[in-house]
Amino acid sequence: MVPDCKQTENDNQELEIDLREFAERGEAVPHAGVYRVRIDDETVKVHTPCPTGEELLQKVGKRPCGFELIAEFYHHHENSVIEPEEKVDLRQHGLKGFITAQKEIVTIFINDKPYHIERGQRTVAEILSKVGQTPEGYILMEEKDGPPLPLPPNLPVKICGCETFHTQAQSGGSS
Amino acid sequence: MAYPSTQTDDLKPYCEKLSVLPEGGVSFLMMENLRLPAGCQPAMCDALLCPVAKDGYPSRLYLSVQVASTYTRNWNCSNARIGERNWFAFSWRVDLPNPTLPQLLIAHLNGFAKEK
Repeated sequence: MVPDCKQTENDNQELEIDLREFAERGEAVPHAGVYRVRIDDETVKVHTPCPTGEELLQKVGKRPCGFELIAEFYHHHENSVIEPEEKVDLRQHGLKGFITAQKEIVTIFINDKPYHIERGQRTVAEILSKVGQTPEGYILMEEKDGPPLPLPPNLPVKICGCETFHTQAQSGGSS
Repeated sequence: MAYPSTQTDDLKPYCEKLSVLPEGGVSFLMMENLRLPAGCQPAMCDALLCPVAKDGYPSRLYLSVQVASTYTRNWNCSNARIGERNWFAFSWRVDLPNPTLPQLLIAHLNGFAKEK
């Protein structure tokens, strides 16, 4: 169902409401200027009735490459996964908040392009194989808290999602 | 010798301070607290990148200490005196046609991450 995201002239932009309170009382959520939304253990303020899944994840410092967002309803059987680009109607009945869950298959970026890979300890060879390269021919570099640095092929690479890698042709050797 | 600013700008994130050290007709790139690849001990040290031929190598990376890394390296240059400091370098030949400075640095740093 396409959410009703239109604000009307009667919208009370001064009004700040807490979604959980309305869900617990079973009341319809009115239009408001600010919606207080519970995501995991945090309460964040949202200034639109229809944010996207990605926008909500960003509110708690998370990204869709590593986490999924799950809408929690007063009746648990209605809980549902929200896609990153999907708009969520915060005013829908019974919505009490969201939880995030770490993905098993996450997205990493190699040479600025996204690739899916299983979370956990991966080898340099596994990561390079995503772009059809091997450690014999290419250096795998990870951009982590700074510029890209080469990764030794004999050490595991911890993948949690959203890691950024670059590759460069092998060009050096001991002499 | 002046280096392209676009390339030196791309080198800056690798270290805390980048400067040019001219000596003996070579413009060394002095990198203070250069970040080293995973598995290196220490994790950072001062370095001199020499992008031109020296000591029989097409280019060289001198380090302020002998770095311990995943693979044992042949430190065939000890206490080279440049800029009134002692420097160390391991035997590592980079043969890249017209590399940018960051590409050259990565190729040298990969000496700590590559078996042979």
